[in-house]
Amino acid sequence: MTVDRLDSGRFAQVVEARREEHGDPARAVCLACVDVLGVAGAGLVLMSGGQSMGIGVSDSVTDTVEQMEYTLGEGPCVSAYRTKVPVFDADLADEETDRWPEFRRGALASGIQAAFGFPLLIQHVCMGALNVYHDRPGALSDGQVADALVVAQFASRAVLAWQADAPSGTVAWQLEQAPNRGVEVHQATGRISVQVGVSLADALVLLRAYAFSHDRPISEVAAEVAAGRLRMD
Amino acid sequence: MAREQDLLAAFVEFADTFVDDYDVVEFLHRLAERCVGLLNVSEAGIMLADRDGTLHYIASSSERMHLIELFELQHDEGPCLDAYRTGVAVHAAMADEANTRWPRFAPHARDVGFQSVSALPMRLRADVIGALNLFSATPEPLNSEDQQVAQALADIATISILQERALKDGQVVTTQLEGALESRIAIEQAKGMVAEHNHVSIDDAFTLLRGYARKNNRLLRQTADAIIDGTLTADALTAPTRNQPA
Repeated sequence: MTVDRLDSGRFAQVVEARREEHGDPARAVCLACVDVLGVAGAGLVLMSGGQSMGIGVSDSVTDTVEQMEYTLGEGPCVSAYRTKVPVFDADLADEETDRWPEFRRGALASGIQAAFGFPLLIQHVCMGALNVYHDRPGALSDGQVADALVVAQFASRAVLAWQADAPSGTVAWQLEQAPNRGVEVHQATGRISVQVGVSLADALVLLRAYAFSHDRPISEVAAEVAAGRLRMD
Repeated sequence: MAREQDLLAAFVEFADTFVDDYDVVEFLHRLAERCVGLLNVSEAGIMLADRDGTLHYIASSSERMHLIELFELQHDEGPCLDAYRTGVAVHAAMADEANTRWPRFAPHARDVGFQSVSALPMRLRADVIGALNLFSATPEPLNSEDQQVAQALADIATISILQERALKDGQVVTTQLEGALESRIAIEQAKGMVAEHNHVSIDDAFTLLRGYARKNNRLLRQTADAIIDGTLTADALTAPTRNQPA
Protein backbone atom coordinates (compact mmCIF):
# COMPACT_ATOMS: atom_id res chain seq x y z
CA MET A 1 0.00 0.00 0.00
CA THR A 2 1.50 3.31 -0.92
CA VAL A 3 0.96 6.03 1.61
CA ASP A 4 0.47 9.58 0.48
CA ARG A 5 3.36 11.24 2.33
CA LEU A 6 3.22 14.84 3.33
CA ASP A 7 5.41 17.23 1.38
CA SER A 8 6.21 20.86 1.87
CA GLY A 9 3.74 21.99 -0.78
CA ARG A 10 0.79 20.17 0.71
CA PHE A 11 1.68 21.31 4.20
CA ALA A 12 1.82 24.89 2.93
CA GLN A 13 -1.78 24.54 1.80
CA VAL A 14 -2.90 23.35 5.23
CA VAL A 15 -1.04 26.26 6.83
CA GLU A 16 -2.62 28.73 4.44
CA ALA A 17 -6.12 27.44 5.24
CA ARG A 18 -5.43 27.89 8.96
CA ARG A 19 -3.92 31.33 8.42
CA GLU A 20 -7.06 32.51 6.65
CA GLU A 21 -9.06 31.59 9.74
CA HIS A 22 -6.64 32.93 12.32
CA GLY A 23 -4.35 35.55 10.79
CA ASP A 24 -1.34 34.71 12.97
CA PRO A 25 1.17 32.91 10.73
CA ALA A 26 3.16 31.10 13.42
CA ARG A 27 -0.01 29.89 15.12
CA ALA A 28 -1.26 28.71 11.73
CA VAL A 29 1.82 26.49 11.40
CA CYS A 30 1.13 25.00 14.84
CA LEU A 31 -2.54 24.39 14.06
CA ALA A 32 -1.64 22.86 10.70
CA CYS A 33 0.86 20.60 12.49
CA VAL A 34 -1.91 19.38 14.80
CA ASP A 35 -4.12 18.79 11.74
CA VAL A 36 -1.62 16.65 9.86
CA LEU A 37 -0.23 14.70 12.83
CA GLY A 38 -3.50 14.18 14.65
CA VAL A 39 -1.99 15.13 18.03
CA ALA A 40 -3.31 17.25 20.87
CA GLY A 41 -1.04 20.27 20.51
CA ALA A 42 2.01 21.84 18.90
CA GLY A 43 4.22 24.81 19.67
CA LEU A 44 7.14 26.65 18.09
CA VAL A 45 9.93 28.13 20.16
CA LEU A 46 13.00 30.03 19.02
CA MET A 47 16.11 29.82 21.17
CA SER A 48 19.35 31.72 21.22
CA GLY A 49 22.02 31.41 23.88
CA GLY A 50 20.19 31.07 27.19
CA GLN A 51 17.00 32.71 26.01
CA SER A 52 13.88 31.30 24.48
CA MET A 53 10.99 32.99 22.74
CA GLY A 54 7.74 31.19 22.06
CA ILE A 55 6.42 32.28 18.68
CA GLY A 56 3.24 30.24 18.41
CA VAL A 57 1.07 27.60 20.05
CA SER A 58 -1.97 25.68 18.85
CA ASP A 59 -3.93 25.94 22.13
CA SER A 60 -3.78 27.08 25.74
CA VAL A 61 -2.73 23.71 27.19
CA THR A 62 0.33 23.76 24.93
CA ASP A 63 0.99 27.32 26.07
CA THR A 64 0.93 26.21 29.73
CA VAL A 65 3.21 23.25 29.06
CA GLU A 66 5.71 25.34 27.09
CA GLN A 67 5.84 27.93 29.84
CA MET A 68 6.64 25.11 32.22
CA GLU A 69 9.60 24.22 30.04
CA TYR A 70 10.78 27.80 30.14
CA THR A 71 10.37 27.99 33.90
CA LEU A 72 12.16 24.73 34.54
CA GLY A 73 14.73 24.86 31.74
CA GLU A 74 13.98 21.23 30.86
CA GLY A 75 11.75 19.36 28.43
CA PRO A 76 11.58 18.16 24.80
CA CYS A 77 12.07 21.64 23.39
CA VAL A 78 15.22 22.31 25.40
CA SER A 79 16.60 18.83 24.67
CA ALA A 80 15.90 19.01 20.94
CA TYR A 81 17.58 22.41 20.75
CA ARG A 82 20.66 21.28 22.67
CA THR A 83 21.17 17.94 20.95
CA LYS A 84 19.98 19.07 17.48
CA VAL A 85 18.16 15.76 17.01
CA PRO A 86 14.50 14.83 17.56
CA VAL A 87 13.64 13.70 21.10
CA PHE A 88 10.78 11.39 21.97
CA ASP A 89 8.94 10.59 25.16
CA ALA A 90 6.01 8.37 24.32
CA ASP A 91 4.88 7.96 27.92
CA LEU A 92 5.53 10.78 30.35
CA ALA A 93 4.07 8.68 33.17
CA ASP A 94 6.67 5.95 32.79
CA GLU A 95 8.58 6.01 36.06
CA GLU A 96 11.59 4.27 34.55
CA THR A 97 12.53 7.51 32.76
CA ASP A 98 15.13 9.73 34.46
CA ARG A 99 14.93 12.78 32.35
CA TRP A 100 12.83 15.94 32.76
CA PRO A 101 11.39 14.92 36.17
CA GLU A 102 9.70 18.24 36.98
CA PHE A 103 8.56 18.86 33.42
CA ARG A 104 6.95 15.43 33.25
CA ARG A 105 5.13 15.99 36.50
CA GLY A 106 3.80 19.32 35.34
CA ALA A 107 2.87 18.15 31.85
CA LEU A 108 0.96 15.15 33.20
CA ALA A 109 -0.92 17.47 35.56
CA SER A 110 -2.01 19.41 32.45
CA GLY A 111 -3.27 16.26 30.75
CA ILE A 112 -0.33 15.70 28.43
CA GLN A 113 0.91 12.11 28.30
CA ALA A 114 3.46 12.14 25.47
CA ALA A 115 5.87 14.83 24.27
CA PHE A 116 8.17 15.10 21.26
CA GLY A 117 10.64 17.78 20.22
CA PHE A 118 12.06 18.45 16.73
CA PRO A 119 14.94 20.89 16.25
CA LEU A 120 14.43 23.76 13.83
CA LEU A 121 17.51 23.47 11.66
CA ILE A 122 18.98 25.35 8.78
CA GLN A 123 21.92 23.14 7.77
CA HIS A 124 23.89 22.84 11.01
CA VAL A 125 22.45 25.87 12.78
CA CYS A 126 19.67 25.20 15.30
CA MET A 127 17.23 28.06 15.86
CA GLY A 128 14.81 26.44 18.29
CA ALA A 129 12.30 23.60 18.31
CA LEU A 130 8.90 22.36 17.22
CA ASN A 131 7.12 20.70 20.15
CA VAL A 132 4.40 18.14 19.70
CA TYR A 133 2.19 17.00 22.58
CA HIS A 134 -0.39 14.26 22.86
CA ASP A 135 -3.01 13.53 25.50
CA ARG A 136 -2.57 9.77 25.23
CA PRO A 137 0.63 7.77 25.68
CA GLY A 138 2.12 6.17 22.58
CA ALA A 139 4.99 6.61 20.18
CA LEU A 140 4.64 8.54 16.95
CA SER A 141 4.41 6.22 13.95
CA ASP A 142 7.19 6.33 11.33
CA GLY A 143 4.80 8.26 9.12
CA GLN A 144 4.09 10.81 11.82
CA VAL A 145 7.80 11.27 12.47
CA ALA A 146 8.43 11.79 8.76
CA ASP A 147 5.59 14.32 8.62
CA ALA A 148 6.85 16.11 11.75
CA LEU A 149 10.25 16.50 10.08
CA VAL A 150 8.55 18.09 7.08
CA VAL A 151 6.70 20.46 9.43
CA ALA A 152 9.92 21.35 11.28
CA GLN A 153 11.72 22.07 8.03
CA PHE A 154 8.80 24.18 6.82
CA ALA A 155 8.77 26.12 10.08
CA SER A 156 12.53 26.73 9.92
CA ARG A 157 12.27 28.12 6.41
CA ALA A 158 9.24 30.21 7.31
CA VAL A 159 11.05 31.79 10.26
CA LEU A 160 14.01 32.63 8.02
CA ALA A 161 11.80 34.08 5.33
CA TRP A 162 9.88 36.23 7.81
CA GLN A 163 13.04 37.49 9.44
CA ALA A 164 14.70 38.16 6.08
CA ASP A 165 11.90 40.61 5.31
CA ALA A 166 12.06 42.40 8.67
CA PRO A 167 13.68 45.86 8.85
CA SER A 168 17.29 45.55 9.93
CA GLY A 169 17.81 45.17 13.70
CA THR A 170 14.17 44.30 14.43
CA VAL A 171 12.40 41.03 15.09
CA ALA A 172 9.91 40.07 12.35
CA TRP A 173 6.29 40.83 13.29
CA GLN A 174 5.29 37.25 12.54
CA LEU A 175 7.48 36.18 15.45
CA GLU A 176 5.85 38.53 17.93
CA GLN A 177 2.24 37.34 17.87
CA ALA A 178 2.36 34.67 20.58
CA PRO A 179 0.43 35.62 23.72
CA ASN A 180 3.21 35.08 26.23
CA ARG A 181 6.20 36.05 24.27
CA GLY A 182 8.42 36.76 27.22
CA VAL A 183 8.86 40.55 27.34
CA GLU A 184 7.42 40.67 30.82
CA VAL A 185 9.85 37.98 31.94
CA HIS A 186 12.75 40.19 30.88
CA GLN A 187 11.22 43.31 32.41
CA ALA A 188 10.62 41.41 35.66
CA THR A 189 14.20 40.17 35.58
CA GLY A 190 15.38 43.77 35.34
CA ARG A 191 13.25 44.83 38.32
CA ILE A 192 14.35 41.87 40.44
CA SER A 193 18.04 42.46 39.75
CA VAL A 194 17.69 45.98 41.23
CA GLN A 195 15.36 44.93 44.08
CA VAL A 196 17.61 42.15 45.32
CA GLY A 197 20.94 43.49 44.06
CA VAL A 198 21.88 40.51 41.90
CA SER A 199 22.90 39.93 38.30
CA LEU A 200 20.25 39.55 35.61
CA ALA A 201 21.05 35.85 35.31
CA ASP A 202 20.48 35.33 39.04
CA ALA A 203 17.34 37.47 38.90
CA LEU A 204 15.91 35.11 36.27
CA VAL A 205 16.71 32.15 38.52
CA LEU A 206 14.83 33.82 41.37
CA LEU A 207 11.85 34.48 39.12
CA ARG A 208 11.80 30.88 37.92
CA ALA A 209 12.18 29.56 41.46
CA TYR A 210 9.25 31.67 42.65
CA ALA A 211 7.03 30.50 39.79
CA PHE A 212 7.99 26.89 40.40
CA SER A 213 7.54 26.93 44.16
CA HIS A 214 4.18 28.69 43.90
CA ASP A 215 3.14 26.45 41.01
CA ARG A 216 2.24 29.41 38.79
CA PRO A 217 3.05 30.05 35.14
CA ILE A 218 6.15 32.18 34.84
CA SER A 219 4.35 34.65 32.57
CA GLU A 220 1.78 35.35 35.27
CA VAL A 221 4.38 35.94 37.97
CA ALA A 222 6.45 38.05 35.58
CA ALA A 223 3.46 40.24 34.72
CA GLU A 224 2.92 41.01 38.40
CA VAL A 225 6.56 41.75 39.05
CA ALA A 226 6.84 43.95 35.94
CA ALA A 227 3.74 45.89 36.97
CA GLY A 228 5.19 46.45 40.42
CA ARG A 229 2.50 44.41 42.19
CA LEU A 230 4.87 41.71 43.41
CA ARG A 231 8.36 42.15 44.79
CA MET A 232 11.15 39.69 45.46
CA ASP A 233 12.94 41.62 48.17
CA MET B 1 32.10 0.31 -19.21
CA ALA B 2 35.00 2.64 -18.60
CA ARG B 3 32.83 5.66 -19.21
CA GLU B 4 30.17 4.46 -16.80
CA GLN B 5 32.83 4.17 -14.10
CA ASP B 6 34.02 7.68 -14.87
CA LEU B 7 30.47 8.99 -14.78
CA LEU B 8 29.78 7.37 -11.45
CA ALA B 9 33.01 8.78 -10.06
CA ALA B 10 32.07 12.24 -11.31
CA PHE B 11 28.62 12.08 -9.69
CA VAL B 12 30.02 10.85 -6.40
CA GLU B 13 32.62 13.57 -6.42
CA PHE B 14 30.00 16.24 -6.95
CA ALA B 15 27.72 14.76 -4.32
CA ASP B 16 30.54 15.26 -1.83
CA THR B 17 30.26 18.98 -2.34
CA PHE B 18 26.94 18.89 -0.49
CA VAL B 19 28.72 17.85 2.65
CA ASP B 20 32.12 19.52 2.69
CA ASP B 21 33.05 23.15 2.56
CA TYR B 22 33.94 23.96 -0.97
CA ASP B 23 34.75 26.83 -3.23
CA VAL B 24 32.25 27.41 -6.04
CA VAL B 25 34.83 28.53 -8.60
CA GLU B 26 37.09 25.56 -7.86
CA PHE B 27 34.11 23.23 -8.12
CA LEU B 28 33.06 24.64 -11.48
CA HIS B 29 36.61 24.36 -12.84
CA ARG B 30 36.61 20.68 -11.90
CA LEU B 31 33.20 20.26 -13.51
CA ALA B 32 34.44 21.84 -16.73
CA GLU B 33 37.44 19.53 -16.82
CA ARG B 34 35.30 16.48 -16.10
CA CYS B 35 32.97 17.36 -18.94
CA VAL B 36 35.82 17.37 -21.43
CA GLY B 37 36.83 13.87 -20.31
CA LEU B 38 33.36 12.40 -20.12
CA LEU B 39 31.74 13.84 -23.21
CA ASN B 40 34.44 13.87 -25.81
CA VAL B 41 34.21 17.59 -26.41
CA SER B 42 37.17 19.86 -26.79
CA GLU B 43 36.36 22.51 -24.23
CA ALA B 44 33.85 23.30 -21.53
CA GLY B 45 32.94 26.55 -19.81
CA ILE B 46 30.45 27.83 -17.27
CA MET B 47 28.72 31.16 -16.94
CA LEU B 48 26.64 32.22 -13.96
CA ALA B 49 24.24 35.11 -13.62
CA ASP B 50 24.57 37.60 -10.78
CA ARG B 51 21.58 38.90 -8.80
CA ASP B 52 20.85 41.43 -11.54
CA GLY B 53 20.69 38.73 -14.19
CA THR B 54 23.96 39.67 -15.87
CA LEU B 55 25.95 36.65 -17.00
CA HIS B 56 29.58 36.37 -15.97
CA TYR B 57 32.21 33.93 -17.07
CA ILE B 58 33.18 31.79 -14.08
CA ALA B 59 35.24 28.78 -15.15
CA SER B 60 36.50 26.90 -18.18
CA SER B 61 38.73 24.05 -19.20
CA SER B 62 41.19 26.29 -21.03
CA GLU B 63 42.19 29.83 -21.87
CA ARG B 64 40.89 29.38 -25.43
CA MET B 65 37.49 28.62 -23.94
CA HIS B 66 37.73 31.59 -21.63
CA LEU B 67 38.27 33.90 -24.57
CA ILE B 68 35.37 32.49 -26.53
CA GLU B 69 33.04 32.92 -23.56
CA LEU B 70 34.15 36.52 -23.22
CA PHE B 71 33.49 37.07 -26.91
CA GLU B 72 29.92 35.87 -26.46
CA LEU B 73 29.35 38.14 -23.51
CA GLN B 74 30.89 41.15 -25.21
CA HIS B 75 28.83 40.75 -28.36
CA ASP B 76 25.71 39.68 -26.52
CA GLU B 77 25.24 36.80 -28.92
CA GLY B 78 25.85 33.06 -28.84
CA PRO B 79 24.65 29.59 -27.79
CA CYS B 80 25.39 30.07 -24.07
CA LEU B 81 23.34 33.26 -23.90
CA ASP B 82 20.49 31.55 -25.74
CA ALA B 83 20.51 28.60 -23.35
CA TYR B 84 20.49 30.93 -20.35
CA ARG B 85 17.76 33.19 -21.66
CA THR B 86 15.42 30.50 -22.96
CA GLY B 87 16.14 27.80 -20.37
CA VAL B 88 16.33 25.32 -23.24
CA ALA B 89 19.41 23.35 -24.34
CA VAL B 90 21.11 24.41 -27.55
CA HIS B 91 22.86 21.84 -29.77
CA ALA B 92 24.24 23.22 -33.01
CA ALA B 93 26.90 23.03 -35.70
CA MET B 94 28.71 26.30 -36.44
CA ALA B 95 28.47 25.81 -40.16
CA ASP B 96 24.66 25.83 -40.07
CA GLU B 97 24.28 28.75 -37.71
CA ALA B 98 26.75 31.03 -39.38
CA ASN B 99 24.47 33.50 -41.08
CA THR B 100 21.31 33.08 -39.12
CA ARG B 101 21.41 32.66 -35.39
CA TRP B 102 24.84 34.00 -34.47
CA PRO B 103 26.16 36.10 -37.34
CA ARG B 104 29.14 37.45 -35.37
CA PHE B 105 29.81 34.62 -33.00
CA ALA B 106 29.68 31.65 -35.42
CA PRO B 107 32.47 32.79 -37.76
CA HIS B 108 34.65 33.69 -34.77
CA ALA B 109 34.09 30.28 -33.19
CA ARG B 110 35.01 28.54 -36.43
CA ASP B 111 38.17 30.64 -36.71
CA VAL B 112 39.20 29.55 -33.25
CA GLY B 113 38.66 25.89 -34.19
CA PHE B 114 35.20 25.09 -32.81
CA GLN B 115 32.82 23.36 -35.21
CA SER B 116 29.93 22.49 -32.93
CA VAL B 117 28.48 23.48 -29.60
CA SER B 118 26.11 22.31 -26.86
CA ALA B 119 24.92 24.78 -24.26
CA LEU B 120 22.92 23.42 -21.33
CA PRO B 121 20.87 25.70 -19.10
CA MET B 122 21.74 25.46 -15.41
CA ARG B 123 18.25 25.32 -14.16
CA LEU B 124 16.10 24.22 -11.20
CA ARG B 125 12.39 24.46 -11.98
CA ALA B 126 11.78 28.06 -13.00
CA ASP B 127 15.21 29.39 -11.98
CA VAL B 128 17.94 29.52 -14.60
CA ILE B 129 21.16 30.52 -12.90
CA GLY B 130 23.61 30.13 -15.78
CA ALA B 131 24.80 27.84 -18.56
CA LEU B 132 27.22 24.97 -19.09
CA ASN B 133 28.85 25.30 -22.48
CA LEU B 134 30.58 22.57 -24.45
CA PHE B 135 32.53 23.22 -27.63
CA SER B 136 33.92 20.65 -30.00
CA ALA B 137 36.43 20.66 -32.85
CA THR B 138 34.33 18.14 -34.74
CA PRO B 139 31.20 19.17 -36.60
CA GLU B 140 28.79 16.59 -35.18
CA PRO B 141 26.86 17.82 -32.15
CA LEU B 142 26.46 15.53 -29.10
CA ASN B 143 24.38 12.41 -29.57
CA SER B 144 21.23 12.12 -27.47
CA GLU B 145 22.81 9.97 -24.75
CA ASP B 146 25.63 12.47 -24.32
CA GLN B 147 23.12 15.31 -24.27
CA GLN B 148 21.40 13.66 -21.33
CA VAL B 149 24.66 13.17 -19.48
CA ALA B 150 25.59 16.80 -20.13
CA GLN B 151 22.25 18.00 -18.77
CA ALA B 152 22.65 15.80 -15.70
CA LEU B 153 26.05 17.34 -14.99
CA ALA B 154 24.58 20.82 -15.43
CA ASP B 155 21.77 19.88 -13.01
CA ILE B 156 24.21 18.71 -10.35
CA ALA B 157 26.14 21.95 -10.68
CA THR B 158 22.94 23.96 -10.33
CA ILE B 159 21.74 22.20 -7.20
CA SER B 160 25.15 22.45 -5.64
CA ILE B 161 25.35 26.19 -6.19
CA LEU B 162 21.80 26.86 -4.99
CA GLN B 163 22.46 24.75 -1.89
CA GLU B 164 25.54 26.78 -1.05
CA ARG B 165 23.68 30.06 -1.55
CA ALA B 166 20.82 28.88 0.67
CA LEU B 167 23.27 27.93 3.37
CA LYS B 168 24.93 31.34 3.27
CA ASP B 169 21.58 33.15 3.30
CA GLY B 170 20.36 30.97 6.16
CA GLN B 171 23.40 31.73 8.26
CA VAL B 172 23.10 35.44 7.65
CA VAL B 173 19.44 35.54 8.60
CA THR B 174 19.95 33.32 11.66
CA THR B 175 22.66 35.68 12.89
CA GLN B 176 20.36 38.65 12.30
CA LEU B 177 17.58 36.92 14.22
CA GLU B 178 19.85 36.17 17.15
CA GLY B 179 21.07 39.76 17.18
CA ALA B 180 17.53 41.10 17.07
CA LEU B 181 16.40 38.78 19.88
CA GLU B 182 19.34 39.74 22.07
CA SER B 183 18.67 43.43 21.48
CA ARG B 184 15.05 43.00 22.37
CA ILE B 185 15.92 41.15 25.56
CA ALA B 186 18.49 43.75 26.63
CA ILE B 187 16.02 46.59 26.07
CA GLU B 188 13.31 44.87 28.12
CA GLN B 189 15.71 44.12 30.96
CA ALA B 190 16.90 47.73 30.98
CA LYS B 191 13.28 48.93 31.15
CA GLY B 192 12.78 46.81 34.27
CA MET B 193 15.97 48.08 35.89
CA VAL B 194 15.18 51.72 35.19
CA ALA B 195 11.55 51.28 36.31
CA GLU B 196 12.69 49.82 39.62
CA HIS B 197 15.47 52.31 40.22
CA ASN B 198 13.44 55.40 39.38
CA HIS B 199 10.14 54.11 40.83
CA VAL B 200 8.27 54.54 37.58
CA SER B 201 6.22 52.25 35.35
CA ILE B 202 7.76 50.13 32.62
CA ASP B 203 6.30 52.42 29.96
CA ASP B 204 7.74 55.54 31.60
CA ALA B 205 11.09 53.78 31.89
CA PHE B 206 10.96 53.14 28.14
CA THR B 207 10.27 56.82 27.51
CA LEU B 208 13.30 57.76 29.62
CA LEU B 209 15.55 55.31 27.75
CA ARG B 210 14.35 56.48 24.35
CA GLY B 211 14.68 60.13 25.31
CA TYR B 212 18.24 59.63 26.51
CA ALA B 213 19.21 57.67 23.40
CA ARG B 214 17.81 60.36 21.12
CA LYS B 215 19.38 63.29 22.98
CA ASN B 216 22.77 61.63 23.03
CA ASN B 217 22.56 60.30 19.51
CA ARG B 218 22.84 56.69 20.56
CA LEU B 219 20.98 53.55 19.59
CA LEU B 220 18.42 52.32 22.07
CA ARG B 221 20.35 49.05 22.27
CA GLN B 222 23.55 50.85 23.27
CA THR B 223 21.72 52.77 26.00
CA ALA B 224 20.16 49.55 27.29
CA ASP B 225 23.53 47.79 27.33
CA ALA B 226 25.04 50.71 29.23
CA ILE B 227 22.32 50.51 31.89
CA ILE B 228 22.87 46.77 32.19
CA ASP B 229 26.64 46.92 32.55
CA GLY B 230 26.44 49.89 34.89
CA THR B 231 28.30 52.42 32.75
CA LEU B 232 25.12 54.45 32.64
CA THR B 233 23.08 55.00 35.79
CA ALA B 234 19.32 55.29 35.83
CA ASP B 235 19.76 58.72 37.47
CA ALA B 236 21.53 60.02 34.38
CA LEU B 237 18.38 59.38 32.35
CA THR B 238 16.45 62.02 34.28
CA ALA B 239 19.28 64.55 34.70
CA PRO B 240 18.75 67.68 32.59
CA THR B 241 21.18 67.98 29.67
CA ARG B 242 23.56 70.93 29.67
CA ASN B 243 22.51 72.39 26.38
CA GLN B 244 18.78 72.37 26.92
CA PRO B 245 17.15 75.72 26.29
CA ALA B 246 16.01 77.41 29.51
